[in-house]
Amino acid sequence: MKRFLAFLLAMIMVLSMSISVAAAEQEVLVLDIYDDAANYHGMQTGWFGQVVKERFNIELNIIAPQVAGDAVYQTRAADGNLGDIIILDKTRFQDCLAAGLIKDISDKLPECTNIMAYKTQIDSLNQGLGYAEGVYYGIPSEMTDTSPVTLTDDVIYSSPMLRWDQYTAVGRPEMADLDGLLDTLALIHEQFPTNENGDPAYPLSLWADWDGNDNMIGIANVVQLTTWYGEKIKGSAILRPDNTFVEIYDKGASYYKLARFLNKANQMGLVDPESGEQDWNAVCAKMSNGQVNLMWYSWSTGFWNSQDRLDNGTAFIFVPVKDQTYYCDADAYFGTTRVFAVGSKVEGEKYDRIMAFLDWYASPEAMEFQHSGIEGLTYTKDAEGKFVPYMDNALMDNLPVDQYVEGYTGGYQDGFNAINQWIGNALNTNPNTGEGYAQKFWAAYKAKNMTPMKQEWMDHFQAADSVDYMKKNGVLLASPNVSVALQTDTNDIGLIRVDVNKVLCEYTWQLIFCAEEDFDALWDEMVEQMDGFGYKDLYAFDCANYQTEVDAKVAAASAVAE
Amino acid sequence: MQINRRKLRSYKEFLLILPFLAVVAIFSYFPLYGWIYAFHDYRPPFPITKDTFVGLKWFETIISNPTRTKNIVRVLRNTFAMSGISLAFSWFPMVFAIFLNEIKCEPYKKFVQTVTTLPNFISWVLVYSIAFNLFGSFGAVNTVLQNLGLIDAPIAFMKSSDHVWFTQWLWLTWKNAGWAAIMYLAAITGIDEEMLEAARVDGATRMKIIWHITIPCILPTYFVIVMLNLANFLSNGMEQYYVFQNAFNTKYIEVLDLYVYNMAMSSTGAYPLSTAISILKSVVSIVLLVVSNTASKLIRGEGFI
Repeated sequence: MKRFLAFLLAMIMVLSMSISVAAAEQEVLVLDIYDDAANYHGMQTGWFGQVVKERFNIELNIIAPQVAGDAVYQTRAADGNLGDIIILDKTRFQDCLAAGLIKDISDKLPECTNIMAYKTQIDSLNQGLGYAEGVYYGIPSEMTDTSPVTLTDDVIYSSPMLRWDQYTAVGRPEMADLDGLLDTLALIHEQFPTNENGDPAYPLSLWADWDGNDNMIGIANVVQLTTWYGEKIKGSAILRPDNTFVEIYDKGASYYKLARFLNKANQMGLVDPESGEQDWNAVCAKMSNGQVNLMWYSWSTGFWNSQDRLDNGTAFIFVPVKDQTYYCDADAYFGTTRVFAVGSKVEGEKYDRIMAFLDWYASPEAMEFQHSGIEGLTYTKDAEGKFVPYMDNALMDNLPVDQYVEGYTGGYQDGFNAINQWIGNALNTNPNTGEGYAQKFWAAYKAKNMTPMKQEWMDHFQAADSVDYMKKNGVLLASPNVSVALQTDTNDIGLIRVDVNKVLCEYTWQLIFCAEEDFDALWDEMVEQMDGFGYKDLYAFDCANYQTEVDAKVAAASAVAE
Repeated sequence: MQINRRKLRSYKEFLLILPFLAVVAIFSYFPLYGWIYAFHDYRPPFPITKDTFVGLKWFETIISNPTRTKNIVRVLRNTFAMSGISLAFSWFPMVFAIFLNEIKCEPYKKFVQTVTTLPNFISWVLVYSIAFNLFGSFGAVNTVLQNLGLIDAPIAFMKSSDHVWFTQWLWLTWKNAGWAAIMYLAAITGIDEEMLEAARVDGATRMKIIWHITIPCILPTYFVIVMLNLANFLSNGMEQYYVFQNAFNTKYIEVLDLYVYNMAMSSTGAYPLSTAISILKSVVSIVLLVVSNTASKLIRGEGFI
């Protein structure tokens, strides 16, 4: 009996040990994700958090400098540990690499089959930083499976967009240039001074809190519009269509032209008086409320264009201005500006689990969660397994997920992936359906969107979509996507950049609201101040820096031509 | 033996103040270590090393470029103007307290005091949103004026740089006057009742009592507060100006603290320079304190430190 008891106890001991080993494998792992892209700071909650938890038993703690402030970067970097997974702007990534904050992932990355589908691009990034073949530190974000010169989208990032019903109501005038656009806007403003509820509406509503962003000096509302004339701001310089640089304050260049345009618009009473006082959130609310009559970001139509409005013809759509040439970036084959990396303090089992998670993050399953949504909520499958849109308003109305899909809780929008950055692009082809991941590429979606308004637009402009129109008329300038390592600012250059940007932004706002006859005098005053702060040195630095990128773009374009 | 006991006692008493010394050391002296950044070419994430040492380069930067010098002079002008206006009107809370004290209806007095003290507890961000809702282009004031037919287009109060120093002082006063009056109210309560009664018996009018008794009695309090404010002449806070600044008024509204913040936070490249400027600020503040203390000694025969 005693022997049996001893045996039993021994068995129990062995059993309990094996259970505790299994539990160790299953232990919850909380990953700190330092994330330049996130607009949410804290633990990932809701359905996406549950998806990750049930697959990897991982919880995501998101550290968002956009929310918590840039000091988070400075203190964490000074501390020597940014996070377990690091998503950083490319120039800062290089700094962190030099400072030893990034882990060498050469040993594990080649085993990640989903990520290595983008081997060319990943090689290009790492070798561009001076590493030998097979040495990996960073993974580009949002890479496409197309090519550096392809343009897959049927609408480009920025172009003038008007509400089709309003444009039609004023007689669909042909617009020769910016003055023509202003005349049209004046007609629209005259006929539609308010929205349906009687709130004042204006063609242009401007906001000041994006100024100097995205490595471009100047106010965001002018900076973005410069692409309408085939020009693109690179730091403190303007890149012209012929691949030469010109100073941002050159009176022959587009920044001046567009600042003039906004000034004239204000003279004509077409600019919302709250412009310059309000922030982006206020403008965003106005867009959703129908108080803004001109849009220029392709994605901002999302605040207004619902299926109903597409059906009844009150949605925003591209309307060409004859003298414009539209600059846009081709598919982000080599990725966008941010890079995924692993923190240098990560070791052992945690490292394995992070790499497994990242590989899944680039897999078709994760891409579907990211770009297509949840089956049964945002889409259903037809007989061939292709996706059909379902519950369009899931994101907008934050629909409760558990009413449509079992096993997940919370609102759809609340539980959306807060990392807000992904490895594979939304336009990549989903091997499960043969179509792009994003809804706009699904055949079922396209069929649904062939509305009378779209048909009218097609008949009027003799084109299938806006990109098609631009291509047919030779007014599209798609810049090839390249992967080059740009130099980071030294402290001296950085200081000039701060001062020059401040002067440019302050003066541009004053220029928009000044009397027309004061415009040039104010402009000259601004140029004098910018030069005083050392603009010429900054310009020389940026030209030299971005010339490498231009050379790579020219090479990429000519490689395709051959 | 006795000496030993006295020694022991002094040790004990030293232990009593030790926590306070520690607090001062940690929170007031240790941060001075951060001054090191002004002497280095520091850029996160790179740590500071011997190689990054640049000596007084960033201090020279302030004066080597005429445009930057002019810019800092402008910032100083704003700082001095704004602090100067506050200083020039520093008698305002005192007068307010005196008049408040004269209100005989107790509930009304309490009401006024509460209403004027309350804004002190509202953050500047909320004060700004109140300002925006009142004076924005579609704010209450513009709407009323337009509905009355007095103006056609909204007046851009927030975008205007006219009288901005004065309007900023008004906001500051609206927020702080009630709070600042508390000190004077306390001083007034401390005035000897016999003196007041004697004055009344002698037939002094209300104004005469205020002029000959109340004001002279609270003047020392006033002076101490003015001296303390003088030492803070260069640090007139940044929150207020941070929330009110926009492209149209920043030329006049950017004070030293805000300038340092704007420089340090907008780009990593300006970190060392903004540290250098804040060091200069500390130095000037100490000089101002010493000067005002000496002046106080000369004029009133006693200093306050």
